[in-house]
Amino acid sequence: MLCEKCGKNNATTHIRTIVNGVVREINLCGYCAAEEGYTSIGHNSLAGMLASMLGDVVTPQIASEEVRCPVCGATFSDIAETGKVGCAECYKTFNRELLPYLKRVHGSTKHSGKIPNRAPLTVKEDSETVDSLKLELNRLVSEERYEEAAIIRDKIRKKEAENE
Amino acid sequence: MSCWYNISAPEDDIVVSTRIRLARNLSGIPFPSRMNSEQLEQLKSKVKMAVSESNTPFAKTLKYIDMNAVPEVEINAMVERHVISPEFAAKSEGRAIILSDDESISIMIGEEDHLRIQVILGGFQLEKAYDIAERLDTLLYDRLHFAFDDELGFLTECPTNLGTGLRASVMLHLPVCESSGEIAPLSENISKIGFTVRGMYGEGSRSAASLYQISNQITLGISEKNAVDNLKVITAQLIEKERGLRNNLERISVEDTVFRALGTVKSARKISGKEMMNLISRIKLGTSMGIINSDKNPFGILIENQPFMIMRRYGEMPPEERDIKRAQTLREEFKDSSL
Repeated sequence: MLCEKCGKNNATTHIRTIVNGVVREINLCGYCAAEEGYTSIGHNSLAGMLASMLGDVVTPQIASEEVRCPVCGATFSDIAETGKVGCAECYKTFNRELLPYLKRVHGSTKHSGKIPNRAPLTVKEDSETVDSLKLELNRLVSEERYEEAAIIRDKIRKKEAENE
Repeated sequence: MSCWYNISAPEDDIVVSTRIRLARNLSGIPFPSRMNSEQLEQLKSKVKMAVSESNTPFAKTLKYIDMNAVPEVEINAMVERHVISPEFAAKSEGRAIILSDDESISIMIGEEDHLRIQVILGGFQLEKAYDIAERLDTLLYDRLHFAFDDELGFLTECPTNLGTGLRASVMLHLPVCESSGEIAPLSENISKIGFTVRGMYGEGSRSAASLYQISNQITLGISEKNAVDNLKVITAQLIEKERGLRNNLERISVEDTVFRALGTVKSARKISGKEMMNLISRIKLGTSMGIINSDKNPFGILIENQPFMIMRRYGEMPPEERDIKRAQTLREEFKDSSL
């Protein structure tokens, strides 16, 4: 079989990736496999695998610019080497470099879970806590939405009575 | 107080435990790999204060433990009880944890992320465990303001945890799936939908006692509810599969393997850790199938007789002496187990 990328050499590497349930298979020659960043097969740690994947996106140009994160001082090469991001700010500083990698790992680049400071997205309908209800109550009162606030207030009273 | 592994729980014939882990970080302090000792101190005191100031009845069950004050044997015993991760134990110097009375809730401070909030319960209790973790997360968020980005969600040191920072997992006892060669095909199917199958002590560990941990891999682009629901469905299917295979077993052969194991624990004088895993797995199969009676959960006994858990009770000793102590304890634990 010929390499599916260059179509010249014999395919020697079979690569199968599963991201978010989507299976992708490709047969490459050694040269193209290396180019795609699949040189080090058999990594035993996730960090190692991750570092090699991150390493793919470091182009010599980016590395030479040596942009440093203003909070922790990490460069993108540091992150690519260890597979570990330096601090929260790094996600802003190196957003462009990290996005393609995130897409590869998670199959997505958009969070769709819990958003803090708003009503918590809970698994169960009845898992509202007194604390979360009080937060909600304060929010509604501050927005002068008194009718809705009254409903929440009654819920809190009921919960507190149950807890006693 | 009884720990989670000594209480009977839903579906605990197959599901040993349920675990929810949330990875959280504070903005303004570098992630643990790039944090200096001063920043570590700052992190610990912020977290300690956030818990004590929250002043809820819930927070009052939590205690702050400075790992420097914990003896080496106990640190390793904590790993054996799943209170902390092996990675955290290896670099626990200067670090701290927050732990509930029954050890079902723990927060590792300065593991791979600033906070690793963990809830572990016996049996199949995903919603309950998530609910507890969520409450704790919300309570802490009010005071610590975790690093969060509208696009990327909760920010974590390793990008594989980005988004929800949630790892939901169940530990399953699948001896008959294992002996029927079903694990490999099951693992492959499970991995196709973004979940993974691992051994007893998490990442990279091998399976022992036919215990398998199933957990979600993907944390970005999937909500907590979806991750938990999907795991629930997968687990329910595995429970059904294992129970189905158990029902098809030839009764006399199962009884033979179970009674041989029971005979050994009732009379052996030396039992190694590895042998215990094998024996307990077979005894658990026996209690789950109603072949033998035992008041205590065999997996609770397994945890309590890991090497460091033994030394925590009797002091430090070489492996051979531990094998003798282990055999003694097992004889005592199972002396009343019968048909």
